Amino acid sequence: MAASSPVPSFYLDPQIRDWVLFPITLVMILVGILRHYVVLLLQSPPKRLPRAAIREQRALVQSNVLRATASNSPIPFFFYKSISQNLSKAFADGTYLKDGPSKGDAPAAPPNPLTDPAAMDGMMAGMKTQMVMMVPQMVIMGWINFFFEGFVLIKLPFPLTLGFKSMLQRGVQTPDMDVRWVSSLSWYFLNFFGLNGLYRIILGGENAADAAQNMMASPFASAGAPQAGAPQDFGKLFKAERDNLEFAEGLHKWIGEDVEDRILRKYGRAAS
Amino acid sequence: MSTPDEAAQRVFGPNVLHNANLLYDIKFISSCLSGAVAGILGLENWLGFALFLAATLFTTAILHFVTFRGRPKKYVYGGLLEVVNPGQENAFSFILVWTLFYGIVHVYD
Repeated sequence: MAASSPVPSFYLDPQIRDWVLFPITLVMILVGILRHYVVLLLQSPPKRLPRAAIREQRALVQSNVLRATASNSPIPFFFYKSISQNLSKAFADGTYLKDGPSKGDAPAAPPNPLTDPAAMDGMMAGMKTQMVMMVPQMVIMGWINFFFEGFVLIKLPFPLTLGFKSMLQRGVQTPDMDVRWVSSLSWYFLNFFGLNGLYRIILGGENAADAAQNMMASPFASAGAPQAGAPQDFGKLFKAERDNLEFAEGLHKWIGEDVEDRILRKYGRAAS
Repeated sequence: MSTPDEAAQRVFGPNVLHNANLLYDIKFISSCLSGAVAGILGLENWLGFALFLAATLFTTAILHFVTFRGRPKKYVYGGLLEVVNPGQENAFSFILVWTLFYGIVHVYD
């Protein structure tokens, strides 16, 4: 069925295995662990916000939590309503806002992300992580291309289409050879994708060496952070939150509501 | 008797995370070991992937009967379906280890 008779398989020098296969894998594992620790060391401790700013954020969080638990609420309706209305009033008056209640005349301009120090820190941290991720990848790829080029490294146990030939057999100029014989760069790619699980076991779940997570995070983080980050207009958020609070008040249901009947029913002594 | 939303609210986050991490680690080790087996046996093409599938099902069966004691929904939010799914990263790990052992045993002298 193949164009040629059964292809005699190559014999590869075991020294290739010792000096290329294992070293590449070892280096990638170690560089991954190194990346994780570098990111950890580079992270500056989170900036301490002034009390007013923290209060602003926490008020929103409290309101969110209150609403989220409204339908299975552990507090009876009377208390729920008092907390909820207190928050509503505070949001309307703007007492929780960082700069005090709004003056009312000119709408406050959202702080420019380039000059606002809080936003800058967030963006810098993201960019630092990206650099630490990308630079070792480039370096390792360059290292592999320079030193380990021009020979076949390993045979893949599964077939691939001819389209992969140019990518996987980079240094080897043989148009006829089976795509399953690949060069070192493809071993690099296999390691790149396959070692994430290993990092997770060694470094724990939240490790900074996870390649796929970083690739997904980077386009969103660099594009989305300036919008969703610092210039959050808490005034508008508070107004929206007031409406949500009102809506949630209607949904409120205390989990202890019919508890007497439920207990009686559970023990088989229901009244009716 | 409670709606799915209410049921979801009662799930405790850190516990779910812990279970999910543990499950992921188990699947990763299972993928690695099945990759090693496939490589050593010299399985090629679809036979290797069939072994991966068989190993995944075997792992899921053990998890279901021994670890979860027949009630996966109690431990994993997505039920048995989530337990079976090995995840893309583990598939790559399988291929990596499979290639590695196949190369060591069958390609090199």
